[in-house]
Amino acid sequence: MSGRWDRLRIATARLGGDSSAPGSRARRSNAGSVGSVAELRPLPSRTVTLGRIQPQAPTHRTIYCNDRDANIPVGYKGNSVSTTKYNVLTFLPKGLFEQFRRVANLYFLMISILSTTPISPVHPITNVVPLSLVLLVSLIKEAFEDWKRFQNDLTINATPVEVLQGQRWEITQWKKLQVGDIVRIKQDGFFPADLLFLASTNPDGVCYIETANLDGETNLKIRKALEKTWDYMTPEKASEFKGEIQCEQPNNSLYTFTGNLILDKQTLPLSPNQLLLRGCSLRNTESIVAAVIFTGHETKVMMNSMNVPSKRSTFERKLDKLILALFSTLFTMCVIGAIGSGIFISDKYYYLALDDKYWGKIEDQFNPKNRFVVSILTMFTLITLYSTIIPISLYVSIEMIKFIQCTQFINKDLHMYHTETQTPALARTSNLNEELGQVEYVFSDKTGTLTRNLMEFFKCSIGGQIYGTGITEIEKGSAQRSGLRIEEDKKPSTTEHEKGFNFDDSRIMRGAWRNEPNPDVFVEFFRCLAVCHTVLPEGEESPEKITYQAASPDESALVTAAKNFGFFFYRRTPTTVTVRESHVEKIGKVEDVQYEILNVLEFNSTRKRQSVICRYPNGRLVLYCKGADTVIFERLSPGNQEAKSITREHLEQFGAAGLRTLCLAYRELTGELYESWNEKFVQAKSALRDRDKKLDEVAELIEKDLILIGSTAIEDKLQEGVPACIETLSQAGIKIWVLTGDKMETAINIAYACNLINNGMKQFIISSETDAIREAEDRGDPVEIARVTKEFVKQDLKRCLEEAQTYIHGVSTTKLALVIDGKCLMYALDPTLRVDLLNLSLNCSSVVCCRVSPLQKAQVTSLVRKGAKKITLSIGDGANDVSMIQAAHVGIGISGLEGMQAVMASDFAIAQFRFLTDLLLVHGRWSYIRLCKVVTYFFYKNLTFTLTQFWFTFQTGFSGQRFYDDWFQSLFNVIFTALPVIAVGLFDKDVSANLSKKYPQLYKEGINNTFFRWRVIAIWAFFALYQSIIFYYFTASASRYGHNSSGKIFGIWDVSTMTFTCVVVTVNLRLLLASNSITRWHYIGVFGSILAWFVFIFIYCGVITPYDRQENIYFVIYVLMGTFFFYLTLLLVPVVALLGDFLYQVVQRWFFPYDYQIIQEIHKDDLEHRTRFELLEGNNNLTPEEARSLELSRLPREKSKHTGFAFDSPGYESFFASQQGVYAPQRAWDVARRASMKQRPQPRR
Amino acid sequence: MNHANNTGATSSSGSGDAANQRRTSRRPKYSKFTQQELPACKPILTPKWVISVFTIIGVIFIPIGVASLLASRDVVEVVDRYDNACLPSNATNKDAKIAYIQNRDTNKNCTRKITITKDMNQPIYVYYQLDNFYQNHRRYVKSRNDQQLRDKGKANETDYCDPEKTTADGKPIVPCGLIAWSLFNDTYTFTRGSENITVNRKHISWKSDRDHKFGSDVFPSNFQNGTLIGGKTLDPNVSLSQQEDLIVWMRTAALPTFRKLWGKIERDLKANDVITINLENNYNTYEFNGKKKLVLSTASWLGGKNDFLGLAYLSVGGLCFFLALLFTLLYLIKPRKLGDPSYLSWNRNPAGR
Repeated sequence: MSGRWDRLRIATARLGGDSSAPGSRARRSNAGSVGSVAELRPLPSRTVTLGRIQPQAPTHRTIYCNDRDANIPVGYKGNSVSTTKYNVLTFLPKGLFEQFRRVANLYFLMISILSTTPISPVHPITNVVPLSLVLLVSLIKEAFEDWKRFQNDLTINATPVEVLQGQRWEITQWKKLQVGDIVRIKQDGFFPADLLFLASTNPDGVCYIETANLDGETNLKIRKALEKTWDYMTPEKASEFKGEIQCEQPNNSLYTFTGNLILDKQTLPLSPNQLLLRGCSLRNTESIVAAVIFTGHETKVMMNSMNVPSKRSTFERKLDKLILALFSTLFTMCVIGAIGSGIFISDKYYYLALDDKYWGKIEDQFNPKNRFVVSILTMFTLITLYSTIIPISLYVSIEMIKFIQCTQFINKDLHMYHTETQTPALARTSNLNEELGQVEYVFSDKTGTLTRNLMEFFKCSIGGQIYGTGITEIEKGSAQRSGLRIEEDKKPSTTEHEKGFNFDDSRIMRGAWRNEPNPDVFVEFFRCLAVCHTVLPEGEESPEKITYQAASPDESALVTAAKNFGFFFYRRTPTTVTVRESHVEKIGKVEDVQYEILNVLEFNSTRKRQSVICRYPNGRLVLYCKGADTVIFERLSPGNQEAKSITREHLEQFGAAGLRTLCLAYRELTGELYESWNEKFVQAKSALRDRDKKLDEVAELIEKDLILIGSTAIEDKLQEGVPACIETLSQAGIKIWVLTGDKMETAINIAYACNLINNGMKQFIISSETDAIREAEDRGDPVEIARVTKEFVKQDLKRCLEEAQTYIHGVSTTKLALVIDGKCLMYALDPTLRVDLLNLSLNCSSVVCCRVSPLQKAQVTSLVRKGAKKITLSIGDGANDVSMIQAAHVGIGISGLEGMQAVMASDFAIAQFRFLTDLLLVHGRWSYIRLCKVVTYFFYKNLTFTLTQFWFTFQTGFSGQRFYDDWFQSLFNVIFTALPVIAVGLFDKDVSANLSKKYPQLYKEGINNTFFRWRVIAIWAFFALYQSIIFYYFTASASRYGHNSSGKIFGIWDVSTMTFTCVVVTVNLRLLLASNSITRWHYIGVFGSILAWFVFIFIYCGVITPYDRQENIYFVIYVLMGTFFFYLTLLLVPVVALLGDFLYQVVQRWFFPYDYQIIQEIHKDDLEHRTRFELLEGNNNLTPEEARSLELSRLPREKSKHTGFAFDSPGYESFFASQQGVYAPQRAWDVARRASMKQRPQPRR
Repeated sequence: MNHANNTGATSSSGSGDAANQRRTSRRPKYSKFTQQELPACKPILTPKWVISVFTIIGVIFIPIGVASLLASRDVVEVVDRYDNACLPSNATNKDAKIAYIQNRDTNKNCTRKITITKDMNQPIYVYYQLDNFYQNHRRYVKSRNDQQLRDKGKANETDYCDPEKTTADGKPIVPCGLIAWSLFNDTYTFTRGSENITVNRKHISWKSDRDHKFGSDVFPSNFQNGTLIGGKTLDPNVSLSQQEDLIVWMRTAALPTFRKLWGKIERDLKANDVITINLENNYNTYEFNGKKKLVLSTASWLGGKNDFLGLAYLSVGGLCFFLALLFTLLYLIKPRKLGDPSYLSWNRNPAGR
């Protein structure tokens, strides 16, 4: 408590204290009222008065504005923010504690402690040195990261801010700010704490803030001060402000705030409207004055910055199992040794002095009188002796490797750099690199991720002709697959086209439509586009400057299209629409035509159409209608068959190309017909019960006998390269699920556009839009709805599953696709149905879930993650994807666009969906392969090394005598074999990046975990066993009676040094054998390590330190190197040891080659740049697989049934209502949908 | 694009205000390292490579093997096991053997005759070989103190020497420890007919041991003074660096069966020479059923008689030749086309979903 007090007082003093502030009274708290706080703190040596202190109830805080002393008793936290994990004092204890939470480190700590006891065969340094080196490296890394955070904090805490001092604004630092201070913030400044907005230079007490740091939204928000406080703008006036704020305790809810401002004995309620959050910035406002409410760590943004629990990769979990296996191996070895020692020990070996008759008390460890104790103690001895089997430096090596992979490779990959938004990829965590190489399920958001949420008028069909020359991505893709080269017409893409309009066809552009066979149809078509919509024009009424406020981007695209065709809609009143029409007869003649809008028959998801009844200036009454082909075709007047079939054909073409289609139709109305209908309409409109239903029924009466004009095709503009990326990923064996809040038609349409679903696939559609469910909904009993829906979902699932089974077990290779909507999903996720859902969906190559809520996205992800135990990846860009991103094994955020919430929650951030190819197929795959190699290699080298020691134990009477010198053993892991493996972890490449992408199937090796399964580990273990036997027995046998030419004999240390030399050389060379590509770093690592060993041993053998307890090794290497034996053994043993591995690799490659090995061979003679070149050249030499798919693609196709209707509009009334600031209930799917359109107009700047 | 700048900076603090103003290009710089395009050699085990590697190993190994084997075969070695032969006839069971060997008063002399099988050129090395003697036992290996052995002033340094540290009255034993205590003490003299063959007992230890590990001014004291005599007693007037038996003995052996150099015969012996060995059978190996052997051996450039290296080289070389042949045949009979796409897993079972 006293510490806090001091800090506050110091802060006060720095700010000039209270005495200079006029009107401030020194107060002291009523000691009783604040309890122990007051008792503990030293009494201030100032005149104090009692009173005006309210007890601080735990539920709210009371702040005295502009009065520091009054706030002192409560002891609010300062405004300095610290995001560091440690400080100078806590660094060591806390950092070490963190380190020892790792089992391996803790294990080595225990071993180190054990090795200080006489039980240990080894000197403590054997275990202490590697442990301390590992800890040192880890701690340095921690310290470095914390230092960076600290520097960042320092800058932020030292940011200047203007605070009211007396009657002046004085500049101080953020960290010196206190609760209750009055501050002034200037334009573009950041708020230093959570502030209560008092006054603004704007006349009506408003200010604009940008909350991009909080929620990523770049549109400005308005905050409005209480009218009572508007005047406190000047310092003189502000110093008189003596408000008392009672508000809630600090919490992390960004969008709520309750409190009262007590000003002049008046209580004024406060709302979030007066709250300015730290992290936001002031825009479009000269300056504001505000009072500090929450400071430092109590600000809402800081309370929100909880650390997301870090994810651990599946690989690491498997690694834990491997470590566990090593522990059990260790245990087995120790038990064998312990039993052996119990049997061996005997007083007959008199030279060991084990007979207590002669030698007095014998230590328990060797006392033959109690063999059991001997065994137990030897067990511990052996544990310390064999401790090297646990690869202590493994974790720190992996950490380093992953860290470099992230910061140097992923973050700096130019292939993943998006030039337009200047966004490189960003790895926000370094734990999950290898997880990227094993992803099997990708869950993708639609809007913003797959699509740009940009609708462009792309094609149309008028009077039996298709107009529009563009080629969609999917058409390009399918053309490429069928071997056709698309001559990319560069012109349309380079010419600036208006947003929403990507259409070019010389036959109808620039008025040329007048020369087409039937210009009247064109006129109707364009008028329909210009009149039948719910768009609001905004801005100047000129074609260049106007902007359209539309409920959906489709609508504005259509209106924009009309504008470009010469039918410029520019004004809307509640009853009229004005269109500036290029005159029909003559180019250049322009006429403003005002259409009276009589009725708007709204769009909704059951009607799937929208109609407008309008009256021409000349009195002509027309109903224009646009909607889904199915509903329009039903309502066409008879005798329209030919147009109908042609249009249907066109629609199918559009649909297959991934375009969103709408049919346009009109109907001439007579006055009488309209009047009689309108009566019914007005009646229905004023009905109190079932109004919607009645309106629909009335609409049916007039929307009939329509005349088809044509159809439009809008491209839901995909992000660049999405279909190609999806194609590549699915070839890689990755299944892609689209989870979207959009409605089913849109979702299916995008699935088509992305090539997730095509006409060759069997589609299962589970939709809640059925009559049975609708009927139940109409009855309105929620229980009943639930029951009916659940029953329906259950049956549908069963039916689909059965059908799917026939496809799976059948001979055909038809791919399956599942489309399910959110409502059905809700029931299908029920525990009883979950298994069926999982079974069905896992058998589908693509799944589309539409109208799902953010929660359901997460549920689906978890379903696959937990239910199928597959590795999942979620990718999204918006706040609604956060839960899904966090639920998946790997979360990817799309960065560079609006919004950062997804990025903040993600593990990796990339700018474009298509970068997934690089991230997964290149970085992920490499990381996986590299880490597999690193881990198996670590496993191998430690096992080999320890086993040589184990074999020696058998020949020492199981006494636990160490074979190697202490320093050899301690440096083996950290010096002599540590570096080369890092080179492999960073630089090993089986095939180049281009080939990884060219042969996506290679990725399957990661999905199947080919390189880190028990079989692989067993093979490494086998060769570790083999090599250790070679090392030990070859050197031992070779030196058995070995002596040099002068007849002298080697001792134990000569043999062990010989063996150790062989181990170091072999283990390092083995790495080269395991490498797919050998860079100079490999050479430096491998030969550097071997050299390091020799340098070390030369020095180590040459000196006698006075502290050494035994100079066993003295001169050994020189003795050894003076013999031929040394060189012959050094040649023989590594060669024999490696021969086994070499033979295995040869046989494996020759008879059971991995895919990557074949690819390596195919591209053996390629140079790096040539492969790239070849990729550009493309399909010259087809692989059989490609040839096959080419054949397939040339087969005549079944006609598409998909016509691409995917219009989406929340409806006329609700749209206009929201424009006018009236609340209109949103439909279910709108809630889930990302707020892609801003419903509030942007504040004028 | 200012919000794009925030992605990294705000992750920790929630308000990356300072970093916000940077508007430099965020395009990563190109380097071969970061783009992972470092030049690398990509070895592929093609049949050509495989066959050549095996052949090369064979070509190198077989001559070495032949040379090593020849060297080993050049060495003449005569081995005589005498532990049982040098017992009195009444010592049949273990207890009797132990009683015999532990009795200091009995005559331990023993005479052995060995016949030289082949001409032996000088120098001829005399070794003793012990079996089942765990010089590498943990309790044994550590029971010494190198400081004491090297430094006259550190006679009191008897750490690690348990249980042979001090005499009963607390005086430090030099050299202390079990290794020194159990020093081998059989002695041999050789005669050919009536002619004495002198054995040079000098320079049987490694020079580095003599010069650096055992002090020339350190003399034995209180050694083998206790009730239990482990082995040889040392002349307290000869410095440790001169006590080569001790130096040899204290370079402990790696395996429980080991040879130690005892001396050198610096004259040639002819085939069928009969050498009479007068030995003192003092050392107790009977208690742990250890064998004692006397070995006369010449040495080649490679060392003593040990076929292991030669055989290993030969068999590995042979194996490699065989493998080279095998793979060549395989290559000729059933060639594996390099980079055959039909081997690709997705081509082998295209029906796989």
